[in-house]
Amino acid sequence: MIGFVSGTLRVARKDLTIERRTKEVVVTTALFAALVVVLASLSFYLNPILARRIAPGVLWVSITFAGILLVGRGWAREREGDPIRALLLSPVPRASIFAGKFLANLCFATLVELLVVPLVALFFHIDLLPTLLPLGLVVLLGTIGFIAPATLFGALSVRTGARDLVLSIVVFPLVTPALLGAVVATKELFAGATTSEIRGWIEILLAFDLFFLLAGGALFEPLMSD
Amino acid sequence: MSVEFAEVTVRGLLKMYGTTRALIGVDVAFTAGTVTVVEGQNGSGKSTLIQILGQLARPTRGEVRYGRLTRRQARPHIGLLGHSPLLYPDLDTRANLAFFADLYSLEASRVEASIARFELEAIADRPVRTYSRGQQQRASLARALLPEPSLLLLDEPSTGLDIEGIARLEQIVAEERARGAIVVVVSHDSGFSERIADRVIRLHRGRLEPS
Repeated sequence: MIGFVSGTLRVARKDLTIERRTKEVVVTTALFAALVVVLASLSFYLNPILARRIAPGVLWVSITFAGILLVGRGWAREREGDPIRALLLSPVPRASIFAGKFLANLCFATLVELLVVPLVALFFHIDLLPTLLPLGLVVLLGTIGFIAPATLFGALSVRTGARDLVLSIVVFPLVTPALLGAVVATKELFAGATTSEIRGWIEILLAFDLFFLLAGGALFEPLMSD
Repeated sequence: MSVEFAEVTVRGLLKMYGTTRALIGVDVAFTAGTVTVVEGQNGSGKSTLIQILGQLARPTRGEVRYGRLTRRQARPHIGLLGHSPLLYPDLDTRANLAFFADLYSLEASRVEASIARFELEAIADRPVRTYSRGQQQRASLARALLPEPSLLLLDEPSTGLDIEGIARLEQIVAEERARGAIVVVVSHDSGFSERIADRVIRLHRGRLEPS
């Protein structure tokens, strides 16, 4: 029997190998996310002051939509040919399957964000340098808070015929608190707030992330058994 | 080569999907070194029985015992060949088998041995999605048999195979029986069933018919 960490890394490595070979998820979601940013800048941009207010919303809309796409595609790979059933029969702890899929999805989302964040800064005239570290932290925590529940409930798309509909219906209401926290914290940072001034939001995001990571590990097995 | 459990016992199995009863009061035992063919019309509960034996569905009532092992202990010793290949279509067979061998902590040499056993050398580096039905079935069998399972579940294994493929499948089933595996096969192919079966059981509307 292999352990939780070892199982998690093996499942994540498998998803990264598939992505390295197909380049399907990161390329398509990154292009989509970039398109959202470009279209938003063309539609909403008025002046540098208003742009700074709009930028957090554009950034998180772009990340969220790209995120839902990449999580859905990640689970579709387990559905096509049904390899998830072989995975569920293997000695890997089932919580590792959730954690491995989460880790891979987080890697893909981070790659997309490495394109999207500078793009938002460019199109909305945001100086990233003074806020780089706290912004990185907020983006990471907000992404975990979104990807963890999306990965958990994305597993339902493997078990039901509703597919991606499940993701949108179940996940968006659940992740609203994390998204609100991430958007407000980003807005504050773009307005010149320091890390200590957004500490409350960071703590909320941390609590939310922790809850969904633990819930994911605990709920994955019952979700995958009918 | 050894098996981890020598008997699988099913007692009082009831499986409900909503208000539909897929299996009703099924009692049956499967023993090592025996090939049992499960027959029945579409919707008789054959695939549900395979799903429950393979721990991919939970019974509404009743239990399945895997020798002295718990469900969780028995899980890695179950091999399943389903309607789908249960392989990652974007990966080639070698990568698929290497991934599953890694999960079972098997030596890498087992992957190559398996590729040779199922004559997959020529296609082992091509993505599974490019395979014909017969090639997919061989790759899928290679995956199912990689950990040398104690319980081998084959759901319609001969579907889409040509004569040569079916002959090869019969040989594999015979080898697994000789190894001491418990083999349970669901098949509509009566000729194939007759040639491989040590025992035939029949399901009718979720109930086991008396033999």
